[in-house]
Amino acid sequence: MRNKEEKAKGALHYYLQSTSGIVGAVLVLVMIIVAICSIFGITPYDPVEQHIENILQGPSAHFWFGTDEFGRDVFSRTLEGMRRSLTVSITAVTLAATLGVPFGILAGYIGKWFDQLVTRVSDVFFAFPAILLALAIVASLGNDWYDTALAIGVVYTPIFIRVARGPVLTVKEMDYIKISRVLGFSSFRILRKHVFPNVFAPIVVQIALSLSWAILTESGLSFLGLGTQPPTPSLGLMVSEAQPLAAFAWWTLVFPSLFITIVVVGLNLVGDGLRDALDPARRSS
Amino acid sequence: MAIAASVSIISGSLIAAGPAQAASKDLNIGLTLDIDNLDPQRATSFATVRALGLVYGSLVEVGPKLDIRSGLARSWGFNAEGTQLRLHLRKGVKFQDGSAFDALDVKASLERILDPATKAAARANILTIKSIRAAGYEVTLELTIPNVAILAALDGVNMAMLSSDDIKEGNVGKTVNGTGPFKYVSWEPGQSVKLTANTTYWGGKPKLDTVTFRVIPTEASIISALNAGTIQFSVITSPLVAKQAGSNLKVYKTPGLAYVALQLNAKVAPFDKLGVRLAIQCAVSRAEVVKTASSGEGAVIGPITSPAYASNPKSRPCPNVDLVKAKQYLTDAGYPNGLTFKTMVAPTQFATASGTAQSLKSQLAKAGITMEIDAVDDSTFISRWLAGNFGSSVANNGGRIDPDTMYTRYFTSTGNLNKVAGYSSVTLDANFAKGKSSGSDSDRKAAYTAISNELEDNAVWIWLFSPYEYRVATKNVTGFIPLATGSLIELRKVDLK
Amino acid sequence: MNFRRIMKYPGVSRTLSVLTTLFGISVFVFLVLRVIPGDSITGAFGIETGALSPQQIAELRVYYGIDQSLFMQYISWMQSFLSGKFGFAYSTGVSVATLTKSSLPVTIELAIIGTVLGVILGIAIGMFSAKKPGSTRDFAGQLFGLLALAIPGFVLSTGIVTIMANKFHYFPNGYEYMTPWENPWMNFQQMMFPGLVLGIAVAAPVMRTTRSALLETVDKDFVRTAHGKGVPNNTVQLRHILRNSLIPIVTMTGIQFGYLLGGAVIVEKIFALPGMGRQILDAIMKREYATVQSSIMIFAIMFVLINVATDIIYRKIDPRIKK
Repeated sequence: MRNKEEKAKGALHYYLQSTSGIVGAVLVLVMIIVAICSIFGITPYDPVEQHIENILQGPSAHFWFGTDEFGRDVFSRTLEGMRRSLTVSITAVTLAATLGVPFGILAGYIGKWFDQLVTRVSDVFFAFPAILLALAIVASLGNDWYDTALAIGVVYTPIFIRVARGPVLTVKEMDYIKISRVLGFSSFRILRKHVFPNVFAPIVVQIALSLSWAILTESGLSFLGLGTQPPTPSLGLMVSEAQPLAAFAWWTLVFPSLFITIVVVGLNLVGDGLRDALDPARRSS
Repeated sequence: MAIAASVSIISGSLIAAGPAQAASKDLNIGLTLDIDNLDPQRATSFATVRALGLVYGSLVEVGPKLDIRSGLARSWGFNAEGTQLRLHLRKGVKFQDGSAFDALDVKASLERILDPATKAAARANILTIKSIRAAGYEVTLELTIPNVAILAALDGVNMAMLSSDDIKEGNVGKTVNGTGPFKYVSWEPGQSVKLTANTTYWGGKPKLDTVTFRVIPTEASIISALNAGTIQFSVITSPLVAKQAGSNLKVYKTPGLAYVALQLNAKVAPFDKLGVRLAIQCAVSRAEVVKTASSGEGAVIGPITSPAYASNPKSRPCPNVDLVKAKQYLTDAGYPNGLTFKTMVAPTQFATASGTAQSLKSQLAKAGITMEIDAVDDSTFISRWLAGNFGSSVANNGGRIDPDTMYTRYFTSTGNLNKVAGYSSVTLDANFAKGKSSGSDSDRKAAYTAISNELEDNAVWIWLFSPYEYRVATKNVTGFIPLATGSLIELRKVDLK
Repeated sequence: MNFRRIMKYPGVSRTLSVLTTLFGISVFVFLVLRVIPGDSITGAFGIETGALSPQQIAELRVYYGIDQSLFMQYISWMQSFLSGKFGFAYSTGVSVATLTKSSLPVTIELAIIGTVLGVILGIAIGMFSAKKPGSTRDFAGQLFGLLALAIPGFVLSTGIVTIMANKFHYFPNGYEYMTPWENPWMNFQQMMFPGLVLGIAVAAPVMRTTRSALLETVDKDFVRTAHGKGVPNNTVQLRHILRNSLIPIVTMTGIQFGYLLGGAVIVEKIFALPGMGRQILDAIMKREYATVQSSIMIFAIMFVLINVATDIIYRKIDPRIKK
């Protein structure tokens, strides 16, 4: 049995052999740097500062991505928007995974009534339209970014339950598990040694995918007016506000859309790379 | 260019495979909202008011110069004291179902509005009616106090004249039967309302054959539909979108009566301190709000937008931005280091809502005031607003041609929305009473000027601007006269070339 | 007849779990709506609610049925739902059933068009890509897959409407909506762009699933045998490989279709399609409880049924799965 270090090095080795993985990682890294710039305030202008004399100007040396209808610098807003989108999406997925994975594993392992209960409840959330849930949470708790993150996180939890539960069901039937239980090994040890490693790969891949979906969901919610509220920029909100402007101020629509596309593509490629690196069956193809 | 032209030709013939337009003059109107009920006396939402306004008629009408013109009442007169109003009705007017309109219908309609069970929107405006006498084509209203302003209150879809038979049989709200220039045909909820011309309309047969209101949920799509010629007329509320209308479309822009204001609740801290309210007033440049929130389209106004009694926007403690004064007011009120408060906004409620909030936030920051935007959805806004459960909020309220109907319910101590307005005083009550009952124009002007000054001197609310009313049409629509009240009644004169 | 024996009958345990899920959804929807501030009265009257006297408000509460206890409200809604009326949509004057009768077909048609387009597009590009993995073709195909996934639907929709209507003066969705029975040609034109936008969104995951499933199957022994026997390449592709790759594709399609049913709100809004998504959104804004609850229940029922159907197809295709 290879030890953890060797396994990790092996995974990294395989990951680096995957072109998509590398491209994806680069794209995501660029976006993270962009977001970090915003956190430390390294933006050309304050994202909410209005430059009244420079309303709706195209890209120029002063304002790299042009200005919007309030005279705000689109470049600075895009950086801040990326930060917000990533913050909401990381928080949402962390919440979903933290809730979903343990429940999924336990449901698969314990089985019987507990499994039925967890699956039923997760089905209820799964069939529930995200928008209604988001509106409810946002209307009763507030509009801050963590409320949006909570709404998205709750909606994504069932996916993690499912993804975690699947491999557990498969592993549970395997002979060496049955023998371990007969031999009296504690459930905790079985979970740790045999179940968890099998669950790890799909979860990690799902995290990357869910991060990309969360960004799209957040922008959809903002588009409908249910996500981030003005004047805080979020990429989805910027696209929504750009709708009436698109015909004569293309830069207000194109740049935030481009950034959404880049980060979603990047995260998906990272997901692919991770899948190739972590799933032994895949490595052959 | 050639590609665009050939695609247009091809697509034109593609679309023509649909219902033929031929010689029939059909006007299609695009609105973002559907109507929400068929009872004109209870119509308050945007689309319902405009659609039912074409089907029903009222005793008087407001003209393009915001003067009062004859409607279903041909002429009228007050007695010397102003306590009695006699209306002489038009003869020969028929309802959509063919029955004749007479004084009994007027009496029944007014009584229905006054009946609390109806929950009529305009009830509060005609409460001074003590009794109604109706015979033939004469209606006499006895008023409890002199109230010349009631004449202006008789206009509008909420004062629609209904058939007394319909009222008796309980048909109102279930079937539609009016005296307007167009007759109701059908309503497909969520999709369209179809009207057809009333050939026996008292104002003359409309040149249009049919009018259809179509629901197109986003204003950007409405402009697209106009550009493609699938609709010919629309009401647009967003100045940004209106600006997007190309040179191939006609934009009718009129100053409106509605106003956007930062409402302060003087019953809630820190707005209970006059100094705080005045500081806000002095820190805000309305011109800047118009420029950024409304794309430069809008008029800076004072409390009263009714043209005959319009407030002078310069008549306030700080007609221009004065940050020094603002900071002084704050210090005197006990906030030398500035203060923080939350402002409630419903971004989807009206087009310039969120822009206004953002502009205010950025301007107040310069005076050391931190305004936190608390964005909620429409229904949440309304329920909190009604409960007075807010310190400040950004709102777009309707205006009227008469200040009495515009503000009595907010700023008199007995007004049903006074809890929301958060302010009242003995002098306001006295002046409102004077304005309501006085017959003399100059007395009324004096009373309303005093009211306006008191509201501004106490910075009760921060009145910002009045947005324009936009109607966008294709070039083949001729003869339309836009009204500041938003009414589309002048479609009765419109022709399609 | 004891409990265990009943449960052993085919379909019983499945039906029970479906019913439990639906019950859970009904309760959840009901409660969530009551948590949001505002109610039927503020939804209907807006600020005019302030003009109502306490007595009028009490009368209105009876009219809207919100004066009763939550439990009774739930029961009376359930009764209306199970009797087929689905409750009353006050602002339109008709029952929710009537509203749904015209809006549900629109959403279903849109979902079907989107799914079919997406599956065809996705499988085609997936096959195209998988033929020569690592080639330029493959790269192009995968790029398409990624872009289709990453460009938000509302960006695509806005772009299409702006260009088509403003540059080419072509906007069929600006006309009154026509059902396929009334005017098939107009209906096609009105469904074409929104269907395309949704189809592209569906094509992305279908394409990636197809490609990876094909690549996996290609290595399997029976394929080598077929090649060895001299079966032409295309036949091998279609008949053997695709059929075996169908399982994940079918599962993916099922999920996408169910998702489309619930998720086409934005597209319906931009293209002015009078479907269920808009119905629900508008009703939420107006706090029309019955409309929201019943519409979501209908969606949930369809979603659940699709899951069941997918499962059955799944079992039929793959003989390896034990019944």
